[in-house]
Amino acid sequence: MMPYFKFDYFGVDFGLVIAFIIGIGFGFALERGGFGNARILAAQFYFYNMRVLKVMFTAIVTAMLGLFYFSWLGWLDLSLVYVGNTYILPQVLGGFILGMGFVIGGYCPGTSVVSASTGRIDGMVYLLGIFFGIFVFGEMFPLLEGFYLSTDMGKVTLPEFFGLSYGMIVFLVVVMALAAFAAAEWGEKVLAKKNGRGIE
Amino acid sequence: MIDWIMKLSISKKLAISAFVLGLLALFIGNPSNRNIIDVNTKEMALSTIKKQDRIDALILADWLIKENLDFTLVDLRTEKEFNEYTIPASVNIPIENILSSDLMRNQKILLFGNDDVTSAQAWFILKSSKYKSVLILKGGMEAWKNEILYPKLDTSATLEQKAAFEKTKQVSLHFGGTPQMISGGTATSISVQTTPTAPAPKLSATPSKAGGAKKKKEGC
Repeated sequence: MMPYFKFDYFGVDFGLVIAFIIGIGFGFALERGGFGNARILAAQFYFYNMRVLKVMFTAIVTAMLGLFYFSWLGWLDLSLVYVGNTYILPQVLGGFILGMGFVIGGYCPGTSVVSASTGRIDGMVYLLGIFFGIFVFGEMFPLLEGFYLSTDMGKVTLPEFFGLSYGMIVFLVVVMALAAFAAAEWGEKVLAKKNGRGIE
Repeated sequence: MIDWIMKLSISKKLAISAFVLGLLALFIGNPSNRNIIDVNTKEMALSTIKKQDRIDALILADWLIKENLDFTLVDLRTEKEFNEYTIPASVNIPIENILSSDLMRNQKILLFGNDDVTSAQAWFILKSSKYKSVLILKGGMEAWKNEILYPKLDTSATLEQKAAFEKTKQVSLHFGGTPQMISGGTATSISVQTTPTAPAPKLSATPSKAGGAKKKKEGC
């Protein structure tokens, strides 16, 4: 039964090996999706290339359907899958800062590593910036800790928060994703014409 | 129909399968209830709490003194009781939260409640959820109090009993207890404290927060 680590099928050491393999696969998928290119990523925010939205929603729907059906078949104990605490205010602010960095730099942390490892200089500079940011944050943490741990909502999941069944949430997210795909296809055509740019 | 499906592009086929799976999920509702466990009743009936799974208070005291801590000591009582007094090094997980706690299936877990009943219940819950090594403290908190904090010796005891009690006395004092001598119903404290009849132990236990010590940080 999954998750294998929580059921003690293997220890920390072998877990790290698996994490390494999955990490390589993740990076490979990002690169093949075109996410090693800052132009494609930044284009999302100007709405003339909706690839980020499509890839993200595809990943969410695939993972969600997988978790749901694995759990339904009894292959996976969903209660053992890690859910972090929600600290709503600091996380909203953090998301905003990350989004700003995403638009300005053209990468998110994961894609910058992909970009740097394919030899792009902007990706490498971005990666240095990440480590600098982590260092500054770490040094300032005693000052920020109060805010960092404020507005704790505990472990919240969408089905619990809305009082709906898991299946209902799965259905709604799938519908939302399909609607977003259709809108993205349509929007790309319209906006590409308007901006005079092709779909890259 | 089949022709029509075959003519669609890959992304449209994927979109349709996602929609179908989503629609089915709507009817399935909740995939699994985390509080419902499948139990092999026969297996459970056969695997009753074995003698070696029941740990004496004195043995636990010995492990704690020697800092032989390869197990997680779990206090199943309420938070209030836990804050009043608990055995050193224990974490508080009230029995109703036992499955949603951070306990790992490969950990050695030693349970105690006020008596054997609570720990036996928790033992059953954990064992049926595939926890491997679950032990219980024989007699629970009552036994810890009687044997470690307030051990008693009858004044008419034999020399051998008295010699054995010397060791118990040392253990008791280590945990801030009050060993007592009993003669015809009146207890006489023989602790090092200046007030000989004071029954209140110095509680040196510092309760640690539930799951605090070994909590693993996870996430992306």
